[in-house]
Amino acid sequence: MKPLTTSFRTKAAETMVDEQVLQSLEHVYTGFFKGRLEAAGNTDNWEELRDKGKAIKDHTIAHLDYYLGQLADNVEKNGGSVFFAADAAEARKYVLDLAHARNIKTVIKSKSMVSEEMALAQALIDDGIEAVETDLGEYIIQLSDETPYHLIAPAVHKSRKEVAELLDDNYVEGDPVPDATELTMMAREKLRGVFERADMSVTGVNFAVAESGSITLVTNEGNGRMSTTVPRVHVAVMGMEKIIPSIQDLSTMLRILIRSATGQRISSYVTMVNGPRKSDEEEGPEEFHLVIMDNGRQKLLADDQMRESLNCIRCGACLNACPVYRKVGGHAYGWVYPGPIGAIVTPVLTGLKDAANLPAASSLCGACHDACPVKINMPRMLLELRYRTAEGKTDKDERTSTTRERTVWKAWRIGMMGRKRFDIGARLSRLFLRPMARNGWLKKAPPPISGWTSTRDFPLVSSSSLKARLNKRSKKAKS
Amino acid sequence: MPENTPDSPRPERVTLFASCMVDQLATAVGESTVDVLEHLGIEVKFLDDQTCCGQPAFNSGFRSEALPVAKRFIELFEQVSGPIVVPSGSCAAMVRNYYADLFRVDEQMVMRANRVGERLYELSEFISRFFGTDAITGKLTDTATYHKCCHLLREIGVDEEPLEILSNVEGLQMTPLERADVCCGFGGAFSVKMPDISSAILNEKLDNIEANGSNIVIAADTGCVYQMQGGLRRRGSSVQVVHIAEVLAESIRNSNRAVNSE
Amino acid sequence: MTDRAKFIANVTSALGRTEVIAPPRDESTAAFDDVETARAVADRALADAASNAVELTDRMAEAASTIGWKVHRVSNPEDAADIVSNICDQKGATSVLRSTHDVLDEINVDAAVTSSGATLGVTEHSGDNNETKITESKSAAFSADIGITGADYAIAETGTIVLHPRSGLSRLVSLAPPTHIAVLRPTEIIDSLDELFAHERNDHMSGNLAGSMNLISGPSKTADIEGTTVTGIHGPLEVHLIILEND
Repeated sequence: MKPLTTSFRTKAAETMVDEQVLQSLEHVYTGFFKGRLEAAGNTDNWEELRDKGKAIKDHTIAHLDYYLGQLADNVEKNGGSVFFAADAAEARKYVLDLAHARNIKTVIKSKSMVSEEMALAQALIDDGIEAVETDLGEYIIQLSDETPYHLIAPAVHKSRKEVAELLDDNYVEGDPVPDATELTMMAREKLRGVFERADMSVTGVNFAVAESGSITLVTNEGNGRMSTTVPRVHVAVMGMEKIIPSIQDLSTMLRILIRSATGQRISSYVTMVNGPRKSDEEEGPEEFHLVIMDNGRQKLLADDQMRESLNCIRCGACLNACPVYRKVGGHAYGWVYPGPIGAIVTPVLTGLKDAANLPAASSLCGACHDACPVKINMPRMLLELRYRTAEGKTDKDERTSTTRERTVWKAWRIGMMGRKRFDIGARLSRLFLRPMARNGWLKKAPPPISGWTSTRDFPLVSSSSLKARLNKRSKKAKS
Repeated sequence: MPENTPDSPRPERVTLFASCMVDQLATAVGESTVDVLEHLGIEVKFLDDQTCCGQPAFNSGFRSEALPVAKRFIELFEQVSGPIVVPSGSCAAMVRNYYADLFRVDEQMVMRANRVGERLYELSEFISRFFGTDAITGKLTDTATYHKCCHLLREIGVDEEPLEILSNVEGLQMTPLERADVCCGFGGAFSVKMPDISSAILNEKLDNIEANGSNIVIAADTGCVYQMQGGLRRRGSSVQVVHIAEVLAESIRNSNRAVNSE
Repeated sequence: MTDRAKFIANVTSALGRTEVIAPPRDESTAAFDDVETARAVADRALADAASNAVELTDRMAEAASTIGWKVHRVSNPEDAADIVSNICDQKGATSVLRSTHDVLDEINVDAAVTSSGATLGVTEHSGDNNETKITESKSAAFSADIGITGADYAIAETGTIVLHPRSGLSRLVSLAPPTHIAVLRPTEIIDSLDELFAHERNDHMSGNLAGSMNLISGPSKTADIEGTTVTGIHGPLEVHLIILEND
């Protein structure tokens, strides 16, 4: 998917005046966020589980080369094929070539963010192959030709009316809008036939188990199960970081993933696949292909400060907790991954210079870190990226700060390096601002703080410093 | 976090770190902090040379500007011993949690920073830890609600203590704020760099404040106080946003007045 | 250099090394537990399950009910059969598909189904691997009104039925029909996901890992439209759990 990170501010601004989308976005808080809190509250050893999950991922990422080899060996041992794709283009080419080689007419897709990086569905369609998204949310946005809005609820921004316009062949403007159940049943109907005739499926991978070559899918809808059952060829695409070492580790990882994503104790379905169907089964794919993709993750891995982001298990909890995401929406982030995790990985994977607004768009409230099932310290990494865009110390090219900004902070530093100048600076600014103030507040402040007063009153600097006042006090006390 | 058994020994002397904002804008918060500490029997020292901990520049990514300011902070405060109290969760977090990252390869500075950081406390943290949350029994009659400032909550780990402290103020009717732990949108320079997003987040906070109906909103960080007060003023609201230090200081004055008039 | 070798070499150098090294033992992951440990963990899980059967059954019934299974607890096979019959009647089922599971024979499910007037198909491997047979089998599943299975395990922590597709237990019988009935014996119930994956790991370590596994916890559902939960998007809309407590 082509990054559009430079449109962050415009897209954010559009969302912030769209009442309907803002209302839809409330669901991520009232539903998912609250759900996670409740589920965590009902889980006795929740903090232990988070710590364990973090430890498992830390260990795996620290030895990713070893576990990639072990995973590939075991997938092949199970009768599957493994393709290592350096980037999205290579991954896409592999899938397209395979589809043509196997005479595939219809591909069903189960939800996969990696396949969004590959822009796979459209590539198949452009190549004359029917490609249908089967996760209801993905199906809806495929119909509206949009990209996913959220990690696990891709169509969270859509109103029921918009969904009806897309799904209901009989819906006409002015009709009463069918309810969610009716619309869901329409989707069930439409996709049923597609499942039956599909000859290839592309799924994501929630966890790939290195010691057994197993891939695990976590779903609620059943399309993941359909995808690992009905077609002749099943292709699973994964980011190279989605590995865990042992089958036993799944009990920890599934508990923290699912509770963090939706607040459920477990999803309706958890599917584990160990290669193509066995000789004694009457249905199931004849072929299993695992595509392991890098697409820039190497950069995150090699980056001491950013490596932790590879621990992400794509649950969406950080999005649900983020006050910024809830106001700017998923499309503002301009690429596959929205929210706090997107603000961290997108710049490194697609270019920090163009994506500089992403780490800047945060109040550093830390709710994401709090929410993360594997305790990824996102605020720390946001600060690291801000350091790079401000000063470009490691890479001059990454610097996006303006001369004006740099001058302002230089002046700030000078002003803070001595008490006298600190006081003089404050008193001078009061002198300058006082004529514009009423009752100690400014309705309009000059740059660089003019942005504040567009929506808020700004306080006037005090007539004397605390130092002066306390000194006066102690003089008084002595006398 | 400490329960109701305060750490001993109780400090008799602390050094006040005002924070740049309190020092030059919200001086009443600084004076109130001194009042509260003195009420607890503590002698408060103020280092005249103090300026800022460096957080604004650090958060904006300008670490080369933040670094000398932070170094100066450490050089100043390592000259005194004993607890340092600051009426700000975000400044406390900067020193305790982020100085190590800022000083990074300078192991010496990291060590010196840790030595200062381990005796630096945010005000309500300090009170509850060394004196107990029931240590202040002032009087202030009004309806109030409490906003949980993000850095105090998540970086310092102070959650319920301010509420417990406030529950001992006679006459103060506290009701819980809906989404009390959701950010007010301040975020330092973010409030000015991305004012539209900062304000969108603020609007939700203000809606919740107005729905709550209290006359006062209490918070423990000046930046948040100004963000919310500035927004409420712009809405024409009469709701007052006050720093917890100011509430406690006034409640103590009211009590003393009451005692004096008997 | 192969794609794989090049790819992994890049990862190795990103990690600051020149060659792949075996990871040192780390207690956070079970990957370092050997065959004996894996077996011991699984055995312990089995023993625990056996000695806590009653409590596990109660917890299973509770958890399953919470997540949307319609739970029926019966103390004899005849009652179980009646429930199956009733469901077939309620659904007006004309075609029912079942897996091959001992417990289904125990409750004489065939008679229960046919007595309601529906036709019954049994999933079993025909021995042929050809396209036609597979298409027929798929078709049968997609057009069946009800799918009936036993369970390989059930998990009390989550209210889950575990199935390992194999000859006699197709993948679709519990997925394609709009109604799924699972018949469960208390001896199949284990405590939690820990025990399940202990069993799976033990199977793997002894070379017996199943080709695939499905954990089923309630009906199929989605909340993709306005955050409203709707059951029955691609999988069964209605799922019944019959617990046969007749020891």
